Amino acid sequence: MLDLSSMSEHMPAFIDGFIITAEVSIISILGSFLIGLVFALMRVSDNHIFRTISYWYVDLFRNIPFIVLIFFAYYGLPEVGVYIDAFWTGCLTLSVAVGAYAAETIRAGILNVDKGIIEAAKSFGFSKLKIYRKIILPIALTTSVRPLGSVFINLILTTSILSAITLGELTGASKIIASTTFRPFEVYVFLVFFYGILTFALSGVIAIWHRHLNKYNEAN
Amino acid sequence: MIEIDKLCKNFGDLEVLKGIDLTIRPGEVMSILGGSGSGKSTLLRCINGLEEITSGKIIVDGLDVSRKSELREVRKKCSMVFQQFDLYPHLTVSENITLAPISVLDLEKSEAEKKAEELLESVGLTDRSHYYPAQLSGGQKQRVGICRALAMSPDYLLLDEVTSSLDPEMTAEVLDILKKLAGQGITMISVTHEIEFAREISDRIVFLDDGKILNDLPTSEFFDENGGLSDPRIAKFLSKMSGR
Amino acid sequence: MYGEQGFTAYDFVLWAEGLGVSVGIFLASSVFGLAIGILIGLTRYYKVPVLGKLLMMISEFLKNSPVLVQLFLVYFGIPALLEIDITPIQAAIITLTGNTAAFGAVIVISSVEAIDTKQLEAARSFAMDEWLILKKIIYPQSVAIAIPLVVGLAINQLQVTSLISVIGVVDLTRVGDIVNQRTFEPFIVWPIIGGTYFILAKLLGLLGARLEKKFSAYRYQAGI
Repeated sequence: MLDLSSMSEHMPAFIDGFIITAEVSIISILGSFLIGLVFALMRVSDNHIFRTISYWYVDLFRNIPFIVLIFFAYYGLPEVGVYIDAFWTGCLTLSVAVGAYAAETIRAGILNVDKGIIEAAKSFGFSKLKIYRKIILPIALTTSVRPLGSVFINLILTTSILSAITLGELTGASKIIASTTFRPFEVYVFLVFFYGILTFALSGVIAIWHRHLNKYNEAN
Repeated sequence: MIEIDKLCKNFGDLEVLKGIDLTIRPGEVMSILGGSGSGKSTLLRCINGLEEITSGKIIVDGLDVSRKSELREVRKKCSMVFQQFDLYPHLTVSENITLAPISVLDLEKSEAEKKAEELLESVGLTDRSHYYPAQLSGGQKQRVGICRALAMSPDYLLLDEVTSSLDPEMTAEVLDILKKLAGQGITMISVTHEIEFAREISDRIVFLDDGKILNDLPTSEFFDENGGLSDPRIAKFLSKMSGR
Repeated sequence: MYGEQGFTAYDFVLWAEGLGVSVGIFLASSVFGLAIGILIGLTRYYKVPVLGKLLMMISEFLKNSPVLVQLFLVYFGIPALLEIDITPIQAAIITLTGNTAAFGAVIVISSVEAIDTKQLEAARSFAMDEWLILKKIIYPQSVAIAIPLVVGLAINQLQVTSLISVIGVVDLTRVGDIVNQRTFEPFIVWPIIGGTYFILAKLLGLLGARLEKKFSAYRYQAGI
């Protein structure tokens, strides 16, 4: 029955896969955060065109399955002369797709900032840019840590779909292990637990970080 | 008749009621007074089976509250009005009042609605039957709460600090209704902070202190210098309450 | 494979079939999943010993691992372990049902817990039994709270169905893949497929808004 011992000799392959998952995740988290930040700022700006573009970007990418996006990118990019491998296609698509979720989360954080604080800052004659950089964004990001964390944990789970475009990340590597050991049940159970523990650990880290950032709120 | 015999109620290690003996006769209007934490609300909730009894017995018209099969019958006889009104927010005023009569007493819907209309009229809320609770003021909500309890045609009406969440103006409108009711022969057991109100409507006052009955007297004797007031704890409580 | 043939009328039939498979599996797994999710939520709410905790633990793992891996586990793993045959469609429905149930249970629990428990006590004091309270008090209020959350979940699960293409179910995404491989027109194929999902999601959203209005009359009237 359940026999995990056959997994042990394949650990190096599994770890290789994990390293790729980690790399893609880190790059895409950074990418989606930056994209999300830009579109969130566009969404709350006074410029009508910016707001419209941001609205459609978020609406579109939140309502189209990731696998459709990744196939589009994987087959479409070479057609327009962009030749990048599965790894970078994955990073790019993940950043753009998850950026939509990040934008929504950051926007909610910005809208949550107390209007009184912003007016107080204006009254001191800060420039708009300064107000955003020094006051609005730091407060917004503090409150957004937890929801952003969920978005990024989802991103990590989504990296598994990159196996569909032949990337040998965790899921892709496990697929190969499963077919060479003929023990697919053990391999995938192990993988479910592995992802599960990884996300639990990350949620724990995010919770601690959130508490740390919101220390000043505790007195209330 | 409600007979309470050596009633004890613990919450974990905390003893809230420490042996209550009390008999309430039909038609009596009784007020239970006492400081916060004296156990007066718990006593009321035990009568309706909302709190499980730790030891002792409560018998309502021969029915044992701690027996599940008999509790249902007890609850049909004893209706309760709550401090926070606790109306069902998703139902209209009329539906709030008719839900239990229709589903528990098997009343016809039209009959239950007619009765609800009459009750609402008697508390001055004729035109509010299709409102939702959130659209009413606190005093109006509590008047609906009273109608909801009366719609069950209860033999006993249990009032759990029904004015504690209301401002003075609204308190007056609710107390007026209860005064009218007290004159109509229904058995009323009221846990309250409103000393004057208790004095005006009750036949009998029970004073609870630290989970025990300290005093159980006819109203006139309770407020007499040589009766209840001779106990320093009661005198202190009353002066504190009227000083508010 | 690189035949670069143009589109044919049959591609439209394929698209329609794929759409049917996606919607069908989405509906089946949503209905089963929500039903099971409600049961899980209720075992938790009524504090059923062992079962309540166990089901919640399984849900946690279903929520915290990729659906794709769960699909592989069901489609490749379970047949190997139990020596039975599972078709891709069966594997798809089983997996998505489990996944929807896990998220559905969370919604059920949070919407039931959002109800003020003191009114339940009031109902009990009027001799209403637990079933009646569930039906008349808990259900209508928690449904009103749950609808927007369920709609959000449904829109998400609709997208998740696209993963079943990977285990060979010929759904909308798989049809896109097939036609793309033949015509090699990614800029036509994928926008059409993506657009179809987008429109489906918007329709779900509209339906949800309607239901929400219907079930939350008491909240809207009160201006809450």
